[in-house]
Amino acid sequence: MSLSAKLKYKFMKDYGAPALMSLQGLKRRRSRPTPSAFGPPLESNARLKEILTRHYYLSRFVPGVKKVAWVTSGAPVELLRVFDFYTIYPENHSALVGAKKQGAEYCGIAEGDSFSQDLCSYARIDLGHMLSGKSPAGKLPKPDLLFCSNNICQTVLYWYKAISQELDIPLIHFDAPFVSDRQSEADIRYMAQQLQDMIPILEQVSGNVFYMSDLEAVLKRSQDSSRTWGNILKAMQAKPAPMTIFDAFGHLAPIVSLRGLPVAQDYYNILAEEIDDRVSKGIGAIRDEKYRLIWDNIAIWYKVRYLATFFAERKMNFVTATYTNAWAETIDHLNIKDPWNSMARTYGQIILNNNLKHRLGLMRRMIDDFSVDGMVMHSTRSCKPYSVGQYDLRKAISTSLNLPSVIIDADIADERVWSEQQIQTRLEAFCESLEDTNRG
Amino acid sequence: MYPFDAIVYLQRDDHYKRSDLEQRAQIDAMSINDTKDKVLKIPDRSDYLRDQRRSGQEIMGVLPALYPRELLWAFNILPAEIWDPPGEILLANVHLQASICPIVKRGLEFILKSPEIINSGYLFPHTCDSLQNLGTQVKDLIGVPVPVYTFYNPKGEFNKASKRYYSEILFNLQKTLEKSHGLLSQNQLKAACELGHKIDIRRQMLHAALMEDRFDLSNREYFQLIRAAEYMQGQDYLDLLNHVEINEQIGVAPRARLLVTGILPPGDDILNFLDESRVRIVSEDLLSGSRRIPIVEMDQPDDPMEYLVERFFLLPPCSTKAGGLDKRLQYLKKLIAKSRCHGVLFNTVKFCEPELFDQHFLIKSMKVMGLPVLNLETELQPGLSGQEKTRIEAFLEMLDEGVPV
Amino acid sequence: MADLFFGGIDVGSLSTEAVIINSEEQVLAEVVLITGVNGSEAAQKALNQALELAELAQSQIAALTSTGYGRASVPFATGKTTEISCHGVGAHHLFPSTGTVIDVGGQDSKVIQIDDRGHMLDFSMNDKCAAGTGRFLEVMADRLELELDELSNPAYITGPSTPISSTCTVFAESEVISLLAKDTPREQIVNGLQRSIVNRIWSMVVSIGIHGEVTITGGVAKNQGLIKVLEEKLGQKLNVPKNPQTVGALGAALIAKRHHSDSTST
Ligand SMILES: Nc1ncnc2c1ncn2[C@@H]1O[C@H](COP(=O)(O)OP(=O)(O)OP(=O)(O)O)[C@@H](O)[C@H]1O
Ligand code: SF4
Ligand code: SF4
Ligand SMILES: [Mg+2]
Repeated sequence: MSLSAKLKYKFMKDYGAPALMSLQGLKRRRSRPTPSAFGPPLESNARLKEILTRHYYLSRFVPGVKKVAWVTSGAPVELLRVFDFYTIYPENHSALVGAKKQGAEYCGIAEGDSFSQDLCSYARIDLGHMLSGKSPAGKLPKPDLLFCSNNICQTVLYWYKAISQELDIPLIHFDAPFVSDRQSEADIRYMAQQLQDMIPILEQVSGNVFYMSDLEAVLKRSQDSSRTWGNILKAMQAKPAPMTIFDAFGHLAPIVSLRGLPVAQDYYNILAEEIDDRVSKGIGAIRDEKYRLIWDNIAIWYKVRYLATFFAERKMNFVTATYTNAWAETIDHLNIKDPWNSMARTYGQIILNNNLKHRLGLMRRMIDDFSVDGMVMHSTRSCKPYSVGQYDLRKAISTSLNLPSVIIDADIADERVWSEQQIQTRLEAFCESLEDTNRG
Repeated sequence: MYPFDAIVYLQRDDHYKRSDLEQRAQIDAMSINDTKDKVLKIPDRSDYLRDQRRSGQEIMGVLPALYPRELLWAFNILPAEIWDPPGEILLANVHLQASICPIVKRGLEFILKSPEIINSGYLFPHTCDSLQNLGTQVKDLIGVPVPVYTFYNPKGEFNKASKRYYSEILFNLQKTLEKSHGLLSQNQLKAACELGHKIDIRRQMLHAALMEDRFDLSNREYFQLIRAAEYMQGQDYLDLLNHVEINEQIGVAPRARLLVTGILPPGDDILNFLDESRVRIVSEDLLSGSRRIPIVEMDQPDDPMEYLVERFFLLPPCSTKAGGLDKRLQYLKKLIAKSRCHGVLFNTVKFCEPELFDQHFLIKSMKVMGLPVLNLETELQPGLSGQEKTRIEAFLEMLDEGVPV
Repeated sequence: MADLFFGGIDVGSLSTEAVIINSEEQVLAEVVLITGVNGSEAAQKALNQALELAELAQSQIAALTSTGYGRASVPFATGKTTEISCHGVGAHHLFPSTGTVIDVGGQDSKVIQIDDRGHMLDFSMNDKCAAGTGRFLEVMADRLELELDELSNPAYITGPSTPISSTCTVFAESEVISLLAKDTPREQIVNGLQRSIVNRIWSMVVSIGIHGEVTITGGVAKNQGLIKVLEEKLGQKLNVPKNPQTVGALGAALIAKRHHSDSTST
């Protein structure tokens, strides 16, 4: 590892990146007035942007300083943190590409290389990025290691296999058996064993040694930030809700991709403080919150703003979502004293790896806890584990709770499957039925 | 017994040793010569299952793809596999989005009709994201009048923990079935494994014979024969396989030799068209076919549970298990070399992510090898569209070395 | 010895073409008709017109190959070959240095790789959906109340474009409707549509590769706007035949001639 690379990385981390970010921050703040349907924007937004831009920006100076791992959103990243890997979350990057409305372009690159257009668009965007080297975040460092878990989907395993094959990079896979009923002893043993078996490989790739005390420290930080994140989401039970779920889609990034690092913990402390303050002062995310909604499935990244405005103008606010909750839901299973088994419980039972009876129960609880009046489900072409079963979930919820609901067919990041006319009509009909239900 | 380390695919490449096969074919020919029918009678799926049901047989509907059939046999359960039940998809569209693969849709359509022949429940092996969710959707949201069972199949490169885990979940499945079907008899399990072992060996021989053109069966008949395993009783199926004649001599050279890979064989109309065009499918790498037959000839089962564990880890590389891409390519290269095929037909089920991902790498690698590849995407609808016909014919023209000069 | 004549008939989903050549491989007649509901009738009609132009009787045609999706319904053909081979052979004849052929017809689009003898080495074909085919443009032109010829109008070729994001024909159509409702200039929409169709064809081009000169055939090659967008993307000029729709039939006639000499030479 070269000394100059190390120095450069350190300099950029401490001085260069923050200076650059503050400049960008200034430019941004001036240019965007708040549309009238919204309440005052969160002050933490600027801090969030700074952290994320800095993370992507710094990644340029990482090669030669730290080993780089590409990681899936559901993988037990704590293990990597112990070895000081610099982690990149391709799903996060694909969402960013989607939010910049460049999804179709990147998907097109992958399709040009004969990847089928029926594959998850996160995967296609990332493969498009890998094949072209293009990225709206500048340039991502090449991985030294790929780390994935099928606890969110089997898709990521295929996707990472494709990268592993193309770039000839080792892949570590954490096989998390789907919870059809409840986790068996065998499931736990299997997962715990795999985690421990990864240590020698991680030591070899990183050149660092494993210390149990390091893992404990990382797990502790991870647990703390997940809990803080969970509390922030819980604060949205307040009326009016201090933020919208569309804000939360953005504020989710550190818990996904910086989990286990001090920066994530610090960030959520700041955000929690601001949220609590808003709650105590009765400041709402939208100016006049009349109806409270639940969102199901991943965000539609290229339409976040459109949807936020569409609903805010109708005095409707999304106050909870199965998606944002996913990084807080199972954290109480984590037990620092029993790391391996408890990681197996925490990571093995996340929402997409759990059966639909569990999901139904969870959604019912959320609807109750957050005083929800209506439900919007995004059925996404990309994601089978999130979407297969949604039609029946909707039926079970709307009939038993008499809750107005709507399903919109779209995609997380490939804007080519979005049909605005059709979706707008559906959403408007949904809003009408919501207003009717509450009037009558 | 195979040491765990030997489960690196294809290190044992002697499994289709020719002399062995010939010897075996002769022995078989002698022993069954007098009972042999000239025409192969493959019972119709629905008729067969209805007869089984009428005779009081317990039947379990099993969704694709990998499951311990021997264990079900030992409980006197006949697995009736549900891959692509024919007919229109109507009911399932109420429960599933448009972009879900037709196997999942047809499977659900079948289940929603509450077929009477299925009286023992449904088994959902863990195959892919879509089937995983369909299992819980049927069990937890839609509801059916029979029990729903699930069975996880370990994924990815197998590691030290995989084998132990597989044996534990096999045992868990046994315990679950014992609750509804009474205690498992070890003798029955052993007998079931022995029967399965015989079938496997016969299947391996037939596949080898296919590669060597030593059959008179048409493409269509061959796949009917292979697919009869999806619904027949083990013993009946073994009898059927034993009736297939393996010729001493090599048959006439076809216009083209193809290897087919994918989930299912092409539909009957496509197979007929290939037969008419004098194209011979000389090897198959199908999930419904050879991917469920061990890659080597296994020893006689001694401890049946151990045997079943070994067997799982000796199955060929497959997209649904999501092992290394390179291993899969190496395996296919062997099949390509052994079968001396001129081209590869990818019979792709629309929206099937496992296959679509693997395919990208496989097709590229084959093109680099100079091997022509035809990719046919299907929604499992019957018939042969004009476009499919044009694709196949153009591919054959290409194999004919372009257009005659 | 009397000169020998050969015919090729391409019964496409939209148009039917007939070409007659002599033994020097010179084109004596070429005809383009609308296929209509009856392929074999269209084939006969096209042949009759071509015979008339060439001043020949049907009996003077030594061999005739049919091609196109209706190739099986040409009773008087002596052989049949897919349009994929035929477009390859035809393009090679017109532009001998062609390595990649792009045929965009009404229902299907294909990208074909050929060797220096015009033999097909690889090909790719659109999936079932109409995006990336001539049909897509027909639907859109109709919606915009434009004649197909007008797509080549210089006003529609230069200038800004409005991105059309949906690839699905039905969705794209509703997108066009709403753009029209927002008074988006038609030329911007047309430009956006040209780009969208080129994007679809592009993945096939990339998967087959660009091998030397690229020749475009099929009716969509008459669309100047699309040619321009495609050339920009390719970074090279395209070979555009004078009559792109008849390339398949020409290839068929050449194949008929080869078959004939094969069968008589031995
Ligand atoms: N003058 C024109 N300007 C622009 N485009 C045209 C013109 N004439 C025809 N086209 C395009 O050509 C398409 C028809 O192409 P062609 O005649 O090659 O089809 P085909 O061979 O019948 O179809 P296929 O090969 O798919 O069976 C039409 O759909 C239209 O988009
Ligand atoms: S969107 Fe769904 S399928 Fe795609 S990576 Fe995420 S969890 Fe997997
Ligand atoms: S065809 Fe593919 S996606 Fe469909 S059930 Fe089978 S493995 Fe799953
Ligand atoms: Mg044509």
